[in-house]
Amino acid sequence: MVDTIYAEDEIIGTKKAQEIISKFRHAKVISIKRFGEVFNPSNQNFRIQKINPALILARKQKGFVLNAPEGFGIRDQDNYYFSHMYNCLYDCSYCFLQGMYNSANYLVFVNFDDYKNEIEKIIGKDKEKEMTFFTGYDCDSLAMEPITNFLSDFIPFFRRYKNALFEIRTKSINNTVFRKHDALTNCIVAYSLMPETLAQTLDKKAPSVSARIKNIKYIANKGWRIGLRFDPLIYCNNWKAQYSELFANIFKEIKEESIHSVSLGSLRFPKSFFNKLLQYYPNSEEFSFLRSNDKGIISYDQSIENEMNEYCRLELMKYSDARKFFSCG
Amino acid sequence: MTNQNFEGMSVRWVIALKAEAEEIIKNYALERVATKPFQVYKNRDIDIWLVLSGIGQINAVAATTYLYVKSDASDNTIWMNLGIVGSRNFKVGELVQIDKITSNDFPDNHYPSPATFKNNNVERSNLITVNKPEALFENDGVYDMEGYAFFSFAKKIASYELVSVLKIISDIPGTDISKIDKIAVERLVLKKMPLIEKVLENLLSLQEILLLQQRNPNYFDEICQQRKFSFSQKVTLKKYLTQWQSRFPMRNPLSEIEKKMTTSQILKRFSDNLLR
Ligand code: SF4
Repeated sequence: MVDTIYAEDEIIGTKKAQEIISKFRHAKVISIKRFGEVFNPSNQNFRIQKINPALILARKQKGFVLNAPEGFGIRDQDNYYFSHMYNCLYDCSYCFLQGMYNSANYLVFVNFDDYKNEIEKIIGKDKEKEMTFFTGYDCDSLAMEPITNFLSDFIPFFRRYKNALFEIRTKSINNTVFRKHDALTNCIVAYSLMPETLAQTLDKKAPSVSARIKNIKYIANKGWRIGLRFDPLIYCNNWKAQYSELFANIFKEIKEESIHSVSLGSLRFPKSFFNKLLQYYPNSEEFSFLRSNDKGIISYDQSIENEMNEYCRLELMKYSDARKFFSCG
Repeated sequence: MTNQNFEGMSVRWVIALKAEAEEIIKNYALERVATKPFQVYKNRDIDIWLVLSGIGQINAVAATTYLYVKSDASDNTIWMNLGIVGSRNFKVGELVQIDKITSNDFPDNHYPSPATFKNNNVERSNLITVNKPEALFENDGVYDMEGYAFFSFAKKIASYELVSVLKIISDIPGTDISKIDKIAVERLVLKKMPLIEKVLENLLSLQEILLLQQRNPNYFDEICQQRKFSFSQKVTLKKYLTQWQSRFPMRNPLSEIEKKMTTSQILKRFSDNLLR
């Protein structure tokens, strides 16, 4: 899979870096001073790099935990996110990472303890306060678990802090970690889902939706709490039928009690990012319904967004308690 | 000669000495088109050019700049640097593709894109660019006198993934440099031509992807010829035509344009249709 590993001089000798390097016996390891030397040069082409991404091992220097962007997160709790990794094994057409970074190389920050220290500080400020920590926005941490062991490290960590909810956003069907550890009540395994035919076109390299549902069922039966994330909602010709079928398929398999929360999200891009996407996918029908609004954001018409949100909410209410719903974005 | 030949294919070679370039010149049927300030060669039909830079970093940058301007290279052009090098950890005759470039004169290092290494079985090495011929080879890797400067400049004028440095080992500790004559160098390059071609083939496939990404949507050029669109209008037009292609693949957007329509009216017509 990975044939080149760039490792910062500062961390190349650490246990974590060596543990990761040892998993790629045939890869060439190249020492670098700072990850930016490889990750940041302009003129790089994300799509071309995606053909053969390299792995970059680095030390995160600052900004370990950030406030979740406005509109994201669960209700009015304190919402934070942290990224131990940038870029993803999968290749979803709408993925914002393509517009965010010059490079498609997988960048892993190996100093997990610095993240934990920062999280502990935040939790320590008010031990009673409920808060959520999200992971999986700049990568799919579960998909990369066999390489990073990130969750094997952070699940036991969050077990100590019951007021802190830990959300793992994913499309992966890797369930080893959920078999290895007892279910954690303050952890949500949040699955991104869309109708199967749309996912076949858009969620490239990601497991099929039916495989995801099967895996959700397995994990839920092990006692893990599940988040259902219909984010982004994708508009297409027969979207109503497709979403209805998706919801029915999910709740045919998964008991409502296992569901922690359900969220709906809209497809939105900053204009500059969207122009990049159009360049990458000039023939994508799914993007052809998007419009620019006066704030420089590309999204569906408000009427389409509202209709989709409303319809999906009502459909979902057939199966799940509306108090579990929240919208993101 | 490469089998690939597509619209937009474009390659530039920067090579220090004639002996190192001879086989490339023959293989790609290049003809001399300039002698001063640098000797420049090109293929009559395909957009492949070569410059003889002479030895050293200043020459490498000057020759690359010269070729860039003279050959009207675009940012989708492939740039290759090929040359002979010394090393303590490779055998004479081996071809290496460079994955890290350092220089004692500059703090920044360069890392050619991993995309350029795919699909070939070429050995990889770091390159240390020095200002005087090296005999001691204190570190592993290969030593040359141009690579750092070449890469620093080429990555600014071309896509990062289309710049590559290839080196063939000609001397190791103890080699009698006086025995490395023109014929010996030509032979070294000739032996490695199949691998050099393989590297180029991979770069050409990356170039093709880039070109496809950047192609204007259908009818864009025709419509721009009919009316004078401003820059920002062209951006909008491109977007609408891209959307049009996927929404109405059977409808020709030219038929939407009426004789007296202004550029704004044309854009509005497209937008209205796409909104339906
Ligand atoms: S799974 Fe998420 S992070 Fe990965 S490519 Fe898809 S949208 Fe991007």
